[in-house]
Amino acid sequence: MWRDTVLVAGKDLRIEIRSRVALSQVVPFGVVALALFAFALGPDRAPMAKAAPGLFWVAVLFTTVLAVQRSVSVESSDGARDGLRLSGLDPAGQFLGKLLSVAAQLLALEAVLAVGVVLLFGTRIEAWWLIVASCLLGTLGLAAAGVLYGALSAGLRVKETILPFLLLPVVTPVLLAGTRIWQAALAGGTPSYGSPWFHLLIAFDAVYLALGVVVYGPIQESA
Amino acid sequence: MTTTVPVTAAEPAATPAALLPPGLVQSRRMVWTTRIIGMAAAVTVALTVWLGLWVTPPDKVQGDLVRLVYLHPGVAWVALYLAFGLAAVASLLYLWPRTRSLFWDRLAAAAVEVGVVFNVCTLISGSIWGRPTWGVWWAWDARLTLTAVLLILFLGYLTLRRVPAEPDVRAKRCAYAALFAAVDVPLVHFSVVWWKTLHQGATVLNANLSPEIHGSMAWTLLLGFVALTLVFVWMLLVRYRIGALEDHLGSGELEVALLERRNEGAEAAR
Amino acid sequence: MKYVDAGYGIVLGILFLYGVQLVWRRRRWTRLVARVEASRPPADPGTADR
Repeated sequence: MWRDTVLVAGKDLRIEIRSRVALSQVVPFGVVALALFAFALGPDRAPMAKAAPGLFWVAVLFTTVLAVQRSVSVESSDGARDGLRLSGLDPAGQFLGKLLSVAAQLLALEAVLAVGVVLLFGTRIEAWWLIVASCLLGTLGLAAAGVLYGALSAGLRVKETILPFLLLPVVTPVLLAGTRIWQAALAGGTPSYGSPWFHLLIAFDAVYLALGVVVYGPIQESA
Repeated sequence: MTTTVPVTAAEPAATPAALLPPGLVQSRRMVWTTRIIGMAAAVTVALTVWLGLWVTPPDKVQGDLVRLVYLHPGVAWVALYLAFGLAAVASLLYLWPRTRSLFWDRLAAAAVEVGVVFNVCTLISGSIWGRPTWGVWWAWDARLTLTAVLLILFLGYLTLRRVPAEPDVRAKRCAYAALFAAVDVPLVHFSVVWWKTLHQGATVLNANLSPEIHGSMAWTLLLGFVALTLVFVWMLLVRYRIGALEDHLGSGELEVALLERRNEGAEAAR
Repeated sequence: MKYVDAGYGIVLGILFLYGVQLVWRRRRWTRLVARVEASRPPADPGTADR
Protein backbone atom coordinates (compact mmCIF):
# COMPACT_ATOMS: atom_id res chain seq x y z
CA MET A 1 0.00 0.00 0.00
CA TRP A 2 2.74 2.45 0.88
CA ARG A 3 4.54 1.85 -2.35
CA ASP A 4 1.39 2.67 -4.27
CA THR A 5 0.90 5.72 -2.10
CA VAL A 6 4.24 7.07 -3.10
CA LEU A 7 3.59 6.19 -6.72
CA VAL A 8 0.28 8.03 -6.89
CA ALA A 9 1.48 10.97 -4.85
CA GLY A 10 4.49 11.23 -7.08
CA LYS A 11 2.36 11.11 -10.19
CA ASP A 12 -0.02 13.81 -8.99
CA LEU A 13 2.72 16.06 -7.77
CA ARG A 14 4.70 15.64 -10.94
CA ILE A 15 1.63 16.67 -12.92
CA GLU A 16 1.29 19.71 -10.74
CA ILE A 17 4.90 20.66 -11.08
CA ARG A 18 4.90 20.20 -14.82
CA SER A 19 1.67 22.03 -15.47
CA ARG A 20 2.24 24.54 -12.70
CA VAL A 21 -1.48 24.84 -12.16
CA ALA A 22 -0.99 24.60 -8.45
CA LEU A 23 1.53 27.35 -8.43
CA SER A 24 -0.15 29.59 -10.92
CA GLN A 25 -3.77 29.14 -9.90
CA VAL A 26 -4.36 27.37 -6.66
CA VAL A 27 -1.96 29.30 -4.48
CA PRO A 28 -2.80 32.68 -5.96
CA PHE A 29 -6.46 31.98 -5.38
CA GLY A 30 -5.81 31.67 -1.67
CA VAL A 31 -3.75 34.82 -1.66
CA VAL A 32 -6.42 36.74 -3.55
CA ALA A 33 -9.06 35.52 -1.11
CA LEU A 34 -6.99 36.77 1.80
CA ALA A 35 -6.43 40.11 0.11
CA LEU A 36 -10.16 40.45 -0.51
CA PHE A 37 -10.79 39.87 3.17
CA ALA A 38 -8.30 42.58 3.96
CA PHE A 39 -10.12 45.02 1.70
CA ALA A 40 -13.49 44.05 3.10
CA LEU A 41 -12.43 44.59 6.67
CA GLY A 42 -11.29 48.10 6.05
CA PRO A 43 -8.05 49.93 6.47
CA ASP A 44 -7.85 49.77 10.24
CA ARG A 45 -5.44 47.13 11.38
CA ALA A 46 -7.30 46.24 14.56
CA PRO A 47 -10.29 44.38 13.16
CA MET A 48 -8.06 42.72 10.61
CA ALA A 49 -5.66 41.47 13.20
CA LYS A 50 -8.49 40.15 15.29
CA ALA A 51 -10.07 38.32 12.39
CA ALA A 52 -6.82 37.09 10.90
CA PRO A 53 -6.88 33.50 12.18
CA GLY A 54 -10.41 32.91 10.98
CA LEU A 55 -9.74 34.49 7.62
CA PHE A 56 -6.60 32.46 7.16
CA TRP A 57 -8.49 29.25 7.66
CA VAL A 58 -11.44 30.29 5.52
CA ALA A 59 -9.02 31.06 2.69
CA VAL A 60 -7.44 27.64 3.21
CA LEU A 61 -10.85 25.97 3.15
CA PHE A 62 -11.85 27.58 -0.13
CA THR A 63 -8.51 26.70 -1.64
CA THR A 64 -8.98 23.11 -0.51
CA VAL A 65 -12.05 22.89 -2.69
CA LEU A 66 -10.04 24.15 -5.62
CA ALA A 67 -7.16 21.77 -4.98
CA VAL A 68 -9.51 18.81 -4.69
CA GLN A 69 -11.31 19.74 -7.89
CA ARG A 70 -7.96 19.81 -9.57
CA SER A 71 -6.95 16.48 -8.09
CA VAL A 72 -10.13 14.88 -9.36
CA SER A 73 -10.06 16.44 -12.79
CA VAL A 74 -6.54 15.19 -13.41
CA GLU A 75 -8.06 11.79 -13.92
CA SER A 76 -11.34 12.64 -15.53
CA SER A 77 -10.05 12.82 -19.06
CA ASP A 78 -9.08 10.08 -21.48
CA GLY A 79 -10.44 7.32 -19.32
CA ALA A 80 -7.65 7.81 -16.87
CA ARG A 81 -9.87 6.79 -14.01
CA ASP A 82 -10.60 3.43 -15.56
CA GLY A 83 -6.94 3.06 -16.25
CA LEU A 84 -6.24 3.65 -12.63
CA ARG A 85 -8.77 1.07 -11.57
CA LEU A 86 -7.31 -1.48 -13.94
CA SER A 87 -3.77 -0.71 -12.96
CA GLY A 88 -4.01 -2.86 -9.88
CA LEU A 89 -2.84 -0.07 -7.63
CA ASP A 90 -4.08 -0.53 -4.12
CA PRO A 91 -7.05 1.81 -3.70
CA ALA A 92 -5.99 2.71 -0.20
CA GLY A 93 -2.65 3.67 -1.64
CA GLN A 94 -4.37 5.75 -4.30
CA PHE A 95 -6.34 7.54 -1.62
CA LEU A 96 -3.28 8.28 0.45
CA GLY A 97 -1.32 9.31 -2.58
CA LYS A 98 -3.93 11.82 -3.68
CA LEU A 99 -4.22 12.99 -0.12
CA LEU A 100 -0.52 13.67 0.08
CA SER A 101 -0.55 15.56 -3.15
CA VAL A 102 -3.43 17.79 -2.09
CA ALA A 103 -1.92 18.25 1.36
CA ALA A 104 1.41 19.27 -0.12
CA GLN A 105 -0.25 21.96 -2.21
CA LEU A 106 -2.22 23.21 0.77
CA LEU A 107 0.84 23.35 2.96
CA ALA A 108 2.65 25.38 0.34
CA LEU A 109 -0.32 27.73 0.27
CA GLU A 110 -0.44 27.97 4.03
CA ALA A 111 3.20 28.94 4.20
CA VAL A 112 2.54 31.76 1.78
CA LEU A 113 -0.63 32.81 3.56
CA ALA A 114 1.03 32.80 6.95
CA VAL A 115 3.58 35.25 5.64
CA GLY A 116 0.74 37.20 4.06
CA VAL A 117 -1.14 37.35 7.32
CA VAL A 118 1.85 38.70 9.13
CA LEU A 119 2.48 41.28 6.45
CA LEU A 120 -1.05 42.30 5.49
CA PHE A 121 -2.72 42.13 8.83
CA GLY A 122 0.18 43.18 10.94
CA THR A 123 -0.20 40.30 13.32
CA ARG A 124 2.69 38.98 15.31
CA ILE A 125 3.02 35.30 15.82
CA GLU A 126 4.22 34.38 19.27
CA ALA A 127 4.06 30.64 19.35
CA TRP A 128 5.26 29.16 16.08
CA TRP A 129 4.88 25.55 17.04
CA LEU A 130 1.16 26.03 17.53
CA ILE A 131 0.86 27.44 14.04
CA VAL A 132 2.84 24.63 12.49
CA ALA A 133 1.08 21.87 14.40
CA SER A 134 -2.37 23.20 13.65
CA CYS A 135 -1.54 23.62 9.98
CA LEU A 136 -0.18 20.11 9.68
CA LEU A 137 -3.03 18.44 11.47
CA GLY A 138 -5.69 20.63 9.91
CA THR A 139 -4.36 20.15 6.40
CA LEU A 140 -4.29 16.40 6.87
CA GLY A 141 -7.95 16.41 7.80
CA LEU A 142 -8.93 18.77 5.00
CA ALA A 143 -7.11 16.71 2.41
CA ALA A 144 -8.58 13.44 3.67
CA ALA A 145 -12.16 14.68 3.66
CA GLY A 146 -11.54 16.53 0.41
CA VAL A 147 -10.24 13.53 -1.52
CA LEU A 148 -13.11 11.42 -0.21
CA TYR A 149 -15.77 13.84 -1.32
CA GLY A 150 -13.90 14.39 -4.53
CA ALA A 151 -14.12 10.69 -5.24
CA LEU A 152 -17.82 10.73 -4.43
CA SER A 153 -18.55 13.56 -6.84
CA ALA A 154 -16.03 12.53 -9.46
CA GLY A 155 -18.37 11.07 -12.01
CA LEU A 156 -20.96 13.80 -11.78
CA ARG A 157 -21.43 16.52 -14.29
CA VAL A 158 -22.33 18.91 -11.49
CA LYS A 159 -19.22 18.10 -9.53
CA GLU A 160 -17.92 21.66 -9.60
CA THR A 161 -20.92 23.05 -7.80
CA ILE A 162 -21.74 20.17 -5.56
CA LEU A 163 -18.29 19.56 -4.13
CA PRO A 164 -18.06 22.79 -2.10
CA PHE A 165 -21.60 22.33 -0.87
CA LEU A 166 -20.78 18.83 0.36
CA LEU A 167 -17.27 19.41 1.64
CA LEU A 168 -17.34 22.75 3.40
CA PRO A 169 -19.91 21.98 6.11
CA VAL A 170 -18.14 18.75 6.91
CA VAL A 171 -14.80 20.43 7.62
CA THR A 172 -16.29 22.94 10.05
CA PRO A 173 -14.49 21.31 13.00
CA VAL A 174 -11.15 21.93 11.29
CA LEU A 175 -12.06 25.54 10.74
CA LEU A 176 -13.10 26.04 14.34
CA ALA A 177 -10.14 24.19 15.80
CA GLY A 178 -7.60 25.83 13.54
CA THR A 179 -8.97 29.27 14.26
CA ARG A 180 -8.90 28.76 18.00
CA ILE A 181 -5.36 27.42 17.98
CA TRP A 182 -4.17 30.30 15.85
CA GLN A 183 -5.84 32.74 18.21
CA ALA A 184 -3.98 31.15 21.07
CA ALA A 185 -0.76 31.37 19.08
CA LEU A 186 -1.26 35.04 18.29
CA ALA A 187 -2.14 35.88 21.85
CA GLY A 188 1.01 34.21 22.97
CA GLY A 189 -0.78 31.84 25.26
CA THR A 190 1.07 28.70 26.07
CA PRO A 191 -1.07 25.89 24.93
CA SER A 192 -1.04 22.60 26.58
CA TYR A 193 -0.62 19.88 24.05
CA GLY A 194 -3.54 18.40 25.85
CA SER A 195 -5.57 21.22 24.42
CA PRO A 196 -8.97 19.87 23.38
CA TRP A 197 -8.65 21.46 19.98
CA PHE A 198 -5.68 19.32 19.10
CA HIS A 199 -7.58 16.28 20.25
CA LEU A 200 -10.40 17.28 17.97
CA LEU A 201 -8.10 17.68 14.99
CA ILE A 202 -6.49 14.35 15.66
CA ALA A 203 -9.89 12.69 15.97
CA PHE A 204 -11.06 14.31 12.75
CA ASP A 205 -7.94 13.20 10.92
CA ALA A 206 -8.17 9.67 12.27
CA VAL A 207 -11.81 9.30 11.29
CA TYR A 208 -11.45 10.53 7.73
CA LEU A 209 -8.16 8.78 7.13
CA ALA A 210 -9.65 5.50 8.27
CA LEU A 211 -12.78 6.04 6.21
CA GLY A 212 -10.77 6.95 3.16
CA VAL A 213 -8.49 3.96 3.32
CA VAL A 214 -11.42 1.60 3.65
CA VAL A 215 -13.98 3.18 1.40
CA TYR A 216 -12.05 4.81 -1.46
CA GLY A 217 -11.85 1.56 -3.40
CA PRO A 218 -15.56 0.75 -3.28
CA ILE A 219 -16.44 4.31 -4.25
CA GLN A 220 -14.25 4.08 -7.31
CA GLU A 221 -15.89 0.80 -8.26
CA SER A 222 -19.30 2.34 -8.64
CA ALA A 223 -18.40 5.75 -9.99
CA MET B 1 -44.71 1.72 -28.61
CA THR B 2 -48.33 0.78 -28.13
CA THR B 3 -51.35 1.62 -30.19
CA THR B 4 -53.46 4.58 -29.22
CA VAL B 5 -54.50 4.55 -25.63
CA PRO B 6 -58.25 4.90 -25.27
CA VAL B 7 -58.85 8.16 -23.51
CA THR B 8 -61.50 6.71 -21.26
CA ALA B 9 -58.93 4.38 -19.77
CA ALA B 10 -57.07 7.31 -18.30
CA GLU B 11 -59.47 7.62 -15.38
CA PRO B 12 -60.63 4.09 -14.65
CA ALA B 13 -63.66 3.45 -12.52
CA ALA B 14 -61.60 1.40 -10.11
CA THR B 15 -59.11 3.27 -7.97
CA PRO B 16 -55.74 3.75 -9.60
CA ALA B 17 -54.17 1.73 -6.83
CA ALA B 18 -55.98 -1.34 -8.05
CA LEU B 19 -54.21 -1.15 -11.38
CA LEU B 20 -50.70 -1.25 -10.02
CA PRO B 21 -48.40 -4.05 -11.01
CA PRO B 22 -48.18 -6.89 -8.52
CA GLY B 23 -44.82 -5.83 -7.16
CA LEU B 24 -46.12 -2.45 -6.14
CA VAL B 25 -49.48 -3.17 -4.64
CA GLN B 26 -49.58 -2.21 -1.01
CA SER B 27 -51.02 -4.73 1.34
CA ARG B 28 -54.25 -3.68 3.03
CA ARG B 29 -52.43 -3.94 6.31
CA MET B 30 -49.87 -1.41 5.19
CA VAL B 31 -52.50 0.99 3.90
CA TRP B 32 -54.44 0.80 7.13
CA THR B 33 -51.34 1.04 9.30
CA THR B 34 -50.42 4.24 7.55
CA ARG B 35 -53.92 5.62 7.96
CA ILE B 36 -54.14 4.73 11.62
CA ILE B 37 -50.77 6.21 12.41
CA GLY B 38 -51.78 9.34 10.56
CA MET B 39 -54.96 9.65 12.55
CA ALA B 40 -53.16 8.96 15.80
CA ALA B 41 -50.65 11.62 14.90
CA ALA B 42 -53.34 14.17 14.19
CA VAL B 43 -55.14 13.38 17.44
CA THR B 44 -52.05 13.54 19.63
CA VAL B 45 -50.90 16.76 18.01
CA ALA B 46 -54.30 18.34 18.60
CA LEU B 47 -54.21 17.14 22.18
CA THR B 48 -50.72 18.56 22.66
CA VAL B 49 -51.80 21.90 21.28
CA TRP B 50 -54.85 22.01 23.51
CA LEU B 51 -52.86 21.07 26.60
CA GLY B 52 -49.92 23.20 25.70
CA LEU B 53 -51.73 26.37 24.83
CA TRP B 54 -54.61 26.32 27.28
CA VAL B 55 -54.56 23.71 29.98
CA THR B 56 -51.03 23.94 31.32
CA PRO B 57 -50.00 26.87 33.48
CA PRO B 58 -47.31 29.35 32.53
CA ASP B 59 -43.87 28.82 33.96
CA LYS B 60 -42.62 30.76 36.96
CA VAL B 61 -39.53 31.98 35.18
CA GLN B 62 -40.37 31.92 31.51
CA GLY B 63 -44.04 32.68 31.63
CA ASP B 64 -45.98 31.71 28.58
CA LEU B 65 -42.82 31.13 26.57
CA VAL B 66 -42.49 27.75 28.14
CA ARG B 67 -45.36 26.58 25.94
CA LEU B 68 -42.93 26.40 23.06
CA VAL B 69 -41.07 23.75 25.00
CA TYR B 70 -43.87 21.35 24.20
CA LEU B 71 -43.02 21.58 20.53
CA HIS B 72 -39.40 22.61 20.14
CA PRO B 73 -37.53 19.73 21.81
CA GLY B 74 -39.94 17.35 20.11
CA VAL B 75 -39.15 18.53 16.59
CA ALA B 76 -35.49 18.74 17.51
CA TRP B 77 -35.45 15.17 18.75
CA VAL B 78 -37.13 13.98 15.57
CA ALA B 79 -34.89 15.96 13.26
CA LEU B 80 -31.56 15.43 14.93
CA TYR B 81 -31.81 11.98 16.35
CA LEU B 82 -34.69 10.08 14.88
CA ALA B 83 -34.53 11.16 11.26
CA PHE B 84 -30.82 11.55 10.98
CA GLY B 85 -30.04 8.47 13.04
CA LEU B 86 -32.40 6.41 10.95
CA ALA B 87 -30.88 7.72 7.75
CA ALA B 88 -27.38 6.88 8.97
CA VAL B 89 -28.30 3.38 10.08
CA ALA B 90 -30.27 2.70 6.90
CA SER B 91 -27.35 3.90 4.80
CA LEU B 92 -24.99 1.61 6.66
CA LEU B 93 -27.35 -1.31 6.13
CA TYR B 94 -27.43 -0.54 2.45
CA LEU B 95 -23.65 -0.43 2.24
CA TRP B 96 -23.25 -3.70 4.14
CA PRO B 97 -23.28 -6.36 1.43
CA ARG B 98 -25.31 -8.88 3.35
CA THR B 99 -28.18 -6.49 4.00
CA ARG B 100 -27.97 -4.55 0.76
CA SER B 101 -31.40 -3.72 -0.54
CA LEU B 102 -32.90 -0.67 -2.17
CA PHE B 103 -35.39 -0.70 0.68
CA TRP B 104 -32.74 0.80 2.96
CA ASP B 105 -31.80 3.36 0.38
CA ARG B 106 -35.39 4.50 -0.03
CA LEU B 107 -35.86 4.56 3.72
CA ALA B 108 -32.78 6.71 4.17
CA ALA B 109 -33.90 9.13 1.50
CA ALA B 110 -37.36 9.39 3.02
CA ALA B 111 -35.90 9.92 6.47
CA VAL B 112 -33.62 12.67 5.22
CA GLU B 113 -36.33 14.54 3.39
CA VAL B 114 -38.72 14.45 6.32
CA GLY B 115 -35.79 15.23 8.59
CA VAL B 116 -35.07 18.42 6.67
CA VAL B 117 -38.61 19.62 7.26
CA PHE B 118 -38.36 18.91 10.97
CA ASN B 119 -34.93 20.50 11.06
CA VAL B 120 -36.32 23.72 9.62
CA CYS B 121 -39.07 23.59 12.23
CA THR B 122 -36.43 23.15 14.91
CA LEU B 123 -34.53 26.20 13.75
CA ILE B 124 -37.66 28.31 13.46
CA SER B 125 -39.10 27.30 16.82
CA GLY B 126 -35.71 27.73 18.44
CA SER B 127 -35.33 31.15 16.90
CA ILE B 128 -38.80 32.22 17.98
CA TRP B 129 -38.08 31.07 21.50
CA GLY B 130 -34.74 32.83 21.44
CA ARG B 131 -36.04 36.22 20.40
CA PRO B 132 -37.84 37.14 23.61
CA THR B 133 -35.40 35.15 25.72
CA TRP B 134 -32.09 36.39 24.35
CA GLY B 135 -33.31 39.40 22.43
CA VAL B 136 -32.03 38.14 19.09
CA TRP B 137 -33.51 36.06 16.29
CA TRP B 138 -30.34 34.11 15.89
CA ALA B 139 -27.47 33.32 18.21
CA TRP B 140 -24.44 31.19 17.63
CA ASP B 141 -25.58 28.96 20.40
CA ALA B 142 -24.05 25.51 20.23
CA ARG B 143 -27.34 23.74 19.62
CA LEU B 144 -28.63 26.10 16.97
CA THR B 145 -25.31 26.04 15.17
CA LEU B 146 -25.18 22.27 15.19
CA THR B 147 -28.74 22.13 13.89
CA ALA B 148 -27.84 24.54 11.12
CA VAL B 149 -24.80 22.51 10.09
CA LEU B 150 -26.90 19.37 10.14
CA LEU B 151 -29.44 21.05 7.88
CA ILE B 152 -26.75 21.82 5.35
CA LEU B 153 -25.49 18.25 5.52
CA PHE B 154 -29.04 16.96 4.95
CA LEU B 155 -29.52 19.33 2.03
CA GLY B 156 -26.25 18.12 0.53
CA TYR B 157 -27.59 14.59 0.65
CA LEU B 158 -30.80 15.63 -1.08
CA THR B 159 -28.88 17.53 -3.75
CA LEU B 160 -26.74 14.48 -4.39
CA ARG B 161 -29.85 12.40 -4.65
CA ARG B 162 -31.28 14.53 -7.43
CA VAL B 163 -28.35 13.75 -9.69
CA PRO B 164 -29.75 11.34 -12.24
CA ALA B 165 -28.24 7.89 -12.06
CA GLU B 166 -29.07 4.22 -11.91
CA PRO B 167 -30.83 3.41 -8.64
CA ASP B 168 -28.03 1.32 -7.21
CA VAL B 169 -25.30 3.77 -8.21
CA ARG B 170 -27.25 6.63 -6.72
CA ALA B 171 -28.01 4.60 -3.63
CA LYS B 172 -24.37 3.78 -3.06
CA ARG B 173 -23.24 7.34 -3.57
CA CYS B 174 -25.86 8.76 -1.22
CA ALA B 175 -25.19 6.08 1.36
CA TYR B 176 -21.53 7.05 1.43
CA ALA B 177 -22.45 10.70 1.72
CA ALA B 178 -24.70 9.88 4.66
CA LEU B 179 -21.93 7.87 6.28
CA PHE B 180 -19.42 10.71 5.91
CA ALA B 181 -21.91 13.15 7.36
CA ALA B 182 -22.80 10.82 10.22
CA VAL B 183 -19.24 10.45 11.43
CA ASP B 184 -18.87 14.19 11.17
CA VAL B 185 -21.75 14.97 13.48
CA PRO B 186 -20.05 14.20 16.80
CA LEU B 187 -16.98 16.10 15.63
CA VAL B 188 -19.07 19.13 14.74
CA HIS B 189 -20.95 18.81 18.00
CA PHE B 190 -17.80 18.99 20.11
CA SER B 191 -16.22 21.68 18.04
CA VAL B 192 -19.27 23.90 18.28
CA VAL B 193 -19.79 23.36 21.99
CA TRP B 194 -16.14 24.06 22.77
CA TRP B 195 -16.19 27.02 20.41
CA LYS B 196 -18.83 28.58 22.61
CA THR B 197 -17.63 27.56 26.01
CA LEU B 198 -13.86 27.58 25.71
CA HIS B 199 -13.63 31.07 24.37
CA GLN B 200 -12.29 33.37 27.00
CA GLY B 201 -14.19 36.53 27.59
CA ALA B 202 -17.25 35.66 25.58
CA THR B 203 -20.61 36.29 27.11
CA VAL B 204 -22.00 32.84 27.26
CA LEU B 205 -25.63 32.99 26.41
CA ASN B 206 -27.32 30.96 29.00
CA ALA B 207 -28.98 28.30 26.97
CA ASN B 208 -29.80 26.47 30.10
CA LEU B 209 -32.97 28.34 30.81
CA SER B 210 -34.67 25.03 31.05
CA PRO B 211 -37.74 25.39 33.13
CA GLU B 212 -38.67 23.27 36.04
CA ILE B 213 -41.02 20.81 34.52
CA HIS B 214 -43.42 18.86 36.57
CA GLY B 215 -46.99 17.82 36.74
CA SER B 216 -49.18 18.55 33.78
CA MET B 217 -46.30 20.23 32.02
CA ALA B 218 -44.21 17.09 32.12
CA TRP B 219 -47.03 15.04 30.67
CA THR B 220 -47.63 17.56 27.93
CA LEU B 221 -43.95 17.56 27.10
CA LEU B 222 -43.99 13.80 26.83
CA LEU B 223 -47.15 13.92 24.75
CA GLY B 224 -45.47 16.42 22.46
CA PHE B 225 -42.62 13.99 21.86
CA VAL B 226 -45.01 11.17 21.16
CA ALA B 227 -47.17 13.26 18.86
CA LEU B 228 -44.27 14.52 16.78
CA THR B 229 -42.77 11.05 16.58
CA LEU B 230 -46.07 9.77 15.22
CA VAL B 231 -46.13 12.59 12.70
CA PHE B 232 -42.63 11.63 11.62
CA VAL B 233 -43.51 7.97 11.23
CA TRP B 234 -46.57 8.77 9.16
CA MET B 235 -44.61 11.13 6.94
CA LEU B 236 -41.87 8.55 6.61
CA LEU B 237 -44.32 5.89 5.46
CA VAL B 238 -45.94 8.15 2.87
CA ARG B 239 -42.63 9.47 1.62
CA TYR B 240 -41.27 5.94 1.35
CA ARG B 241 -44.28 4.97 -0.70
CA ILE B 242 -43.68 7.89 -3.03
CA GLY B 243 -40.07 6.80 -3.41
CA ALA B 244 -41.10 3.27 -4.27
CA LEU B 245 -43.50 4.52 -6.93
CA GLU B 246 -40.92 6.92 -8.33
CA ASP B 247 -38.27 4.24 -8.54
CA HIS B 248 -40.64 1.94 -10.33
CA LEU B 249 -41.23 4.51 -13.00
CA GLY B 250 -37.63 5.65 -13.06
CA SER B 251 -36.82 3.93 -16.26
CA GLY B 252 -40.17 4.72 -17.76
CA GLU B 253 -40.16 8.46 -17.41
CA LEU B 254 -40.27 8.92 -21.12
CA GLU B 255 -43.24 6.59 -21.24
CA VAL B 256 -44.99 8.66 -18.65
CA ALA B 257 -44.31 11.89 -20.46
CA LEU B 258 -45.53 10.43 -23.75
CA LEU B 259 -48.64 9.15 -22.10
CA GLU B 260 -49.48 12.45 -20.52
CA ARG B 261 -48.83 14.25 -23.77
CA ARG B 262 -51.06 11.88 -25.67
CA ASN B 263 -53.86 12.29 -23.18
CA GLU B 264 -53.49 16.03 -23.27
CA GLY B 265 -53.79 16.01 -27.01
CA ALA B 266 -56.74 13.65 -26.98
CA GLU B 267 -58.62 15.75 -24.44
CA ALA B 268 -57.93 18.94 -26.33
CA ALA B 269 -59.28 17.34 -29.46
CA ARG B 270 -62.59 16.45 -27.82
CA MET C 1 -47.68 35.23 24.05
CA LYS C 2 -47.82 36.24 20.45
CA TYR C 3 -44.43 34.58 20.06
CA VAL C 4 -45.92 31.34 21.27
CA ASP C 5 -48.82 31.62 18.87
CA ALA C 6 -46.47 32.41 16.03
CA GLY C 7 -44.28 29.47 16.94
CA TYR C 8 -47.12 27.00 17.09
CA GLY C 9 -48.67 28.41 13.97
CA ILE C 10 -45.54 28.29 11.88
CA VAL C 11 -44.28 24.89 13.02
CA LEU C 12 -47.61 23.13 12.78
CA GLY C 13 -48.35 24.99 9.59
CA ILE C 14 -45.15 23.78 7.98
CA LEU C 15 -45.78 20.22 9.08
CA PHE C 16 -49.36 20.36 7.88
CA LEU C 17 -48.45 21.78 4.48
CA TYR C 18 -45.69 19.24 4.00
CA GLY C 19 -48.07 16.47 4.95
CA VAL C 20 -50.59 17.68 2.41
CA GLN C 21 -47.86 17.84 -0.19
CA LEU C 22 -46.85 14.26 0.57
CA VAL C 23 -50.37 12.99 0.16
CA TRP C 24 -50.75 14.89 -3.09
CA ARG C 25 -47.49 13.51 -4.45
CA ARG C 26 -48.44 9.99 -3.49
CA ARG C 27 -51.77 10.32 -5.21
CA ARG C 28 -50.19 11.77 -8.33
CA TRP C 29 -47.59 9.04 -8.59
CA THR C 30 -50.11 6.28 -7.96
CA ARG C 31 -52.23 7.59 -10.80
CA LEU C 32 -49.22 7.91 -13.08
CA VAL C 33 -48.02 4.39 -12.43
CA ALA C 34 -51.52 3.02 -12.87
CA ARG C 35 -51.88 4.77 -16.19
CA VAL C 36 -48.53 3.58 -17.42
CA GLU C 37 -49.40 0.04 -16.44
CA ALA C 38 -52.79 0.30 -18.11
CA SER C 39 -51.21 1.40 -21.34
CA ARG C 40 -48.55 -1.27 -21.41
CA PRO C 41 -49.24 -4.04 -23.93
CA PRO C 42 -50.00 -7.07 -21.77
CA ALA C 43 -48.44 -9.50 -24.24
CA ASP C 44 -45.02 -7.97 -23.86
CA PRO C 45 -43.34 -9.13 -20.68
CA GLY C 46 -40.08 -7.67 -21.90
CA THR C 47 -41.10 -4.21 -20.81
CA ALA C 48 -42.25 -5.33 -17.38
CA ASP C 49 -40.73 -3.64 -14.42
CA ARG C 50 -37.26 -4.70 -13.34
